[in-house]
Amino acid sequence: MASLTAYAVQTVNSGLALGSVYGLMALGFSLIYNSSRLINFAQGELLLLCGLTLYSLTQAIQVNPAFALAAAGACGYFAGFIMYSSTLGLSFRANPLRQLMLTVAASLTWQGVAILVWGKKPLLLPRLLPIPAVTVGPFYLSADTAASLAMALAAAGLLSLFLAKTRYGRAIRAVSMNSLAARLQGVSPTNAHALSFALAGVTAALGSMAVGPQTMLRYDMGLGLGLKGFVAASLGGYDSVWKVFAGGVILGLVEAALVLTFSAELKETLSYALLIGLLLLAKSDRARPVKA
Amino acid sequence: MNSVAVSTQISARAAGTSLFAMLALLGFILPNYELLAVSQHLFLAINVMALNFCLGLGGQVSLAQGAFCGLGAYISALLHPVMPGASLAIAVAASGAAFALAAAVSRPLEKLGEGFLAMATLAVTLIFTNLILSFESITGGTAGMMVDLKLSLPFIGPISGDKPYYFLFLGLLLASVLVFARIRASRLGRALLACHDDPEAASACGVHRAAVRSLAFGLGGALSALAGMLQAHYSGFVSPGQYSLELSLKALLFLVIGGPGRILGPIAAVLILETALSKIHFLGEARVLVHGLLLALALLLGPVRSFHTGRARFTNAAGTDT
Repeated sequence: MASLTAYAVQTVNSGLALGSVYGLMALGFSLIYNSSRLINFAQGELLLLCGLTLYSLTQAIQVNPAFALAAAGACGYFAGFIMYSSTLGLSFRANPLRQLMLTVAASLTWQGVAILVWGKKPLLLPRLLPIPAVTVGPFYLSADTAASLAMALAAAGLLSLFLAKTRYGRAIRAVSMNSLAARLQGVSPTNAHALSFALAGVTAALGSMAVGPQTMLRYDMGLGLGLKGFVAASLGGYDSVWKVFAGGVILGLVEAALVLTFSAELKETLSYALLIGLLLLAKSDRARPVKA
Repeated sequence: MNSVAVSTQISARAAGTSLFAMLALLGFILPNYELLAVSQHLFLAINVMALNFCLGLGGQVSLAQGAFCGLGAYISALLHPVMPGASLAIAVAASGAAFALAAAVSRPLEKLGEGFLAMATLAVTLIFTNLILSFESITGGTAGMMVDLKLSLPFIGPISGDKPYYFLFLGLLLASVLVFARIRASRLGRALLACHDDPEAASACGVHRAAVRSLAFGLGGALSALAGMLQAHYSGFVSPGQYSLELSLKALLFLVIGGPGRILGPIAAVLILETALSKIHFLGEARVLVHGLLLALALLLGPVRSFHTGRARFTNAAGTDT
């Protein structure tokens, strides 16, 4: 009995730690997918480059928590905007297939930049938020988990407020429902797309702050993390901030349980197989691009 | 078909014939160690043609060409010790398995759009690598395993040496080109063209989108598996590193540069650019930067543009733009 409890505590702790990162990635994915029907293959590289930039910042100067959050936000916003201008912004009227392949190209390019500038050695991003370990009833959350979860919850909450209450948020939602009708109401779809990329950059930057202290930052982590975020977004169904975030947390918990039950080796296979299974079962109307 | 189209078709056929004649001649005159390099180019060219079935005909991006290729290689490497000498039967099994896998992934995902299929193929690649690494006792894990047995064909017996394998690669490439051209000019090819010019119009015209697209996707998978099988026995060694995501991405790069749906362009892109790109090996892993920039440039400026504008393509839809 005691071992079962220990097992559950362990699962929840490590599942929530990675689940928050997946949730943050999934939020970025669904923001971009909803506003522009584009699947961004370079989402993981956004996280990677923001994390590495933050790493360099912490090496150069002493960073206090508030400054770290502000720097992550600015860096993510800027990186997301650069990614928009170099992919979708350049091919706005192109075939969706070509836009998709441009994000693959962006992923390769950004990975190359990461190798050239920061090298191939894994780098440990220090923990930047002073959040202590928490014990809730029988459950124990380590400092890393607590910080990731707090950041992810705050980001999801702010994002859902932003989308519901502000003018810009409503513009993004209008474009995602019907971009032609939104344009007739005076909303610029281009601006909404750019903003959704920038916000996806911010969530990715927060994700890097969460994942950096746990698994270190490695030049080749982008595609895998991006794909995990995509699994989480598919699990959540792309249509509400909290469902998508919950998709990430569920994926993290399932993975943690699988690692403890079976071997760590087959973890990747099982979670990607979960993705393929999910997509096979998906209803076509939900994911079908809506024609303007 | 007007006279210009006919003459383009004839000149394309002439160019293709002379390219293959030249490659065959190279096979006779080059010394063995130089044939090795050209064989590797041909191996890549076959994978590019395989992706061409998926992307050029069906309009579906696949990032799993490397995994299909590796599937063929590992199936052949594992089955040959059990049934030595039955290379043809094993080739049928390997290509059949890859066909079934590719078609089974593509068919249900067609309705979700190309992005979802591309993500699923990325997952297939990562699953394949993960499985190879996890079942170390069977597959040899990261270190890979030796493939001692040679391919053997009926009436010829075991095949070894650089020249015979060179001609096998060349023959497979030629076969893939002929099948590709034949399909592209057929009713199936026109159905596929309709699918990626306007999916809804194609459906409205009675094209069973999921069926024709998964058929093209499956053919691409099967062709890659055959290439992987040849490669495994030629190099005498299989390892997960040979069949990683990099192979899939390289195939995508060369196909986009050469023009999806074309034949000579992509093959020429492999033969010329692969040699040029080997010059940047000093960059190490950072060469993905060059790959990414080239891919982006090709997408923004390259022949894909003319390919995807439906109306311009329509005038020579009979498969003349080789």
